[in-house]
Amino acid sequence: MTIVAAATLVVLVAAVVCGLVIGPTPIDALRVVGDIFSHLGVGHSTLTPLQSTVIWTIRAPRMVLGLLAGSMLAVAGGTYQGVFRNPLADPYLLGVAAGAGLGATIAIVGVGSGVSTPDWTPLLAFGGATLAVLVTWVVGGRGLGSTTSTLILAGVAVAALLTSFQTFLLQQSSPDSIARVYIWLLGSLANASWGSVTLVLPYVAVCVVICVAAGRALDVMSVGEDESRTLGLPVRRVRLIVIAASSLGTAAIVSSVGLIGFVGIIVPHIVRLLVGTSYRRILPISVAFGAAFLVFADTIARTVLAPSELPLGVVTAAVGAPVFVIILSLRRRMVV
Amino acid sequence: MKAVEIRELTVRAGSATLISGFSLDVDAGTWCTIVGPNGAGKTTLVETIVGLRRAAYGSVAVAGELVSEMGERDRALRVSFVPQHPIVPAGMSVHDYVALGRTAYHGLLRPPSAADRQSVADVLARLALDRFARRDVITLSGGERQRMVLARALAQGTRVMVLDEPITGLDLRHQMTTLELLQYEVRTSGLTVIATLHDLTLAGQFADRLVLIDQGRLLLDGPSGEVVRSRELEDCYQMSLRVINVDGADVVIPVRR
Repeated sequence: MTIVAAATLVVLVAAVVCGLVIGPTPIDALRVVGDIFSHLGVGHSTLTPLQSTVIWTIRAPRMVLGLLAGSMLAVAGGTYQGVFRNPLADPYLLGVAAGAGLGATIAIVGVGSGVSTPDWTPLLAFGGATLAVLVTWVVGGRGLGSTTSTLILAGVAVAALLTSFQTFLLQQSSPDSIARVYIWLLGSLANASWGSVTLVLPYVAVCVVICVAAGRALDVMSVGEDESRTLGLPVRRVRLIVIAASSLGTAAIVSSVGLIGFVGIIVPHIVRLLVGTSYRRILPISVAFGAAFLVFADTIARTVLAPSELPLGVVTAAVGAPVFVIILSLRRRMVV
Repeated sequence: MKAVEIRELTVRAGSATLISGFSLDVDAGTWCTIVGPNGAGKTTLVETIVGLRRAAYGSVAVAGELVSEMGERDRALRVSFVPQHPIVPAGMSVHDYVALGRTAYHGLLRPPSAADRQSVADVLARLALDRFARRDVITLSGGERQRMVLARALAQGTRVMVLDEPITGLDLRHQMTTLELLQYEVRTSGLTVIATLHDLTLAGQFADRLVLIDQGRLLLDGPSGEVVRSRELEDCYQMSLRVINVDGADVVIPVRR
């Protein structure tokens, strides 16, 4: 466990350095470190003003937003898997993605013409995402005794309905808007700025803390809802708090970077293979590992085909799937 | 002093009435076994006692307090439950599984206290589970598993324990040791046990008192010797039963009609 935690920290630091150093403008890694120290009042920076601008107004906010997005999506996926006791759960399970997608589509297509300024996209995506989860919660939670399967089914229904609205809107719109919606759906950190970082930071900070703190409760829940109630766990309250926190944080991230797939489902599984089944370990390690994973993926996304970019969702899946398979097979060999 | 008081309890699921007008008092430090055919409502009854089901009418009180008025945590401090089919969470160690029994004491945000860790260690030692403590729960045999679930319930440190079919699927020796272990707790620490059992012979040997239920109603309530010899017992199983006393124990034998 301590080895994995230490290794994850090393990977995280490496990701941060890669996020700052790698790019079309070559900048020496040691100089970047020197620049960071100079900002802390130690030594002098040897960077040119241009290099400094590239790092602090382009790469740094993008890297920080990647850290926030990766940690939030990974920890949300982990808590969803715990609260639903379902290995296939991911942060988009209860309609966040479909709601955000519809919101963004409305903003981009601009029904009624004229409202399609880019500024509307995050706001409507966030509104759509939170509203979708609320509807899912009310429909699935108030109904038939509020079991997790009714909640999941309600999420499927809400997502299907919202996606049909979205498809209808797209079908009515111009090829240009379709292309823009499609790009948004694939997720990207290209529009990152310190403004977007400060916008999502409060949500992500609070929600990540709540999710990580829920680890002990999720461990109790692994014996099922009835048994955990007889052990003293207020199942409904815990479920509400955990789902609210992971959905709100995910909505904030999605509204700013679009739908980045695969991180939420695969990172907690990779971490589980490394540290075991206790959520008290899985969740904090997922925060760090998810952050590092997404920054690495974004570094690949923006450099492989530079100056054009690969969609981030393509890279997360293309990198995440092999990593998962490798760890799975290594672990099998270790167990046998 | 009454450990458990059930008054005019009626439990429904949809339009079906599973328990109807059921009243029962169980004295502290005694063992009460509930018997009855499949579908009689035994599981529903015990699940209502531990607060997993809501009463449509009537009430259940543990140590004088209504179960329906308590939060999960208060309830877990007063009554522990051994379900018929416990969920075994693969990947968890036996020690951590038993430690789940202390959840209500330390809460969901704080780690177990020294007292919590001590009582887990005590229970593991008492049930001879300490050598399995680091093992993954799924590697245990059926009998060891049942002992582990019992250990979790004991770690809860409640005055009342409710068990649903605790010996089903165990071999003869494990059946006997499980029940003896419970009886030891009843005699030495004044635990109150409410258990459902199918085996009438073992039920008669261990309980202070047998309660016969069928179709959600209480049919008979009395000392085991009386209940196993009753007309009502034969009627609700719809078969002839012979009771033979072997070395002071009543052995119940079904006879083909």
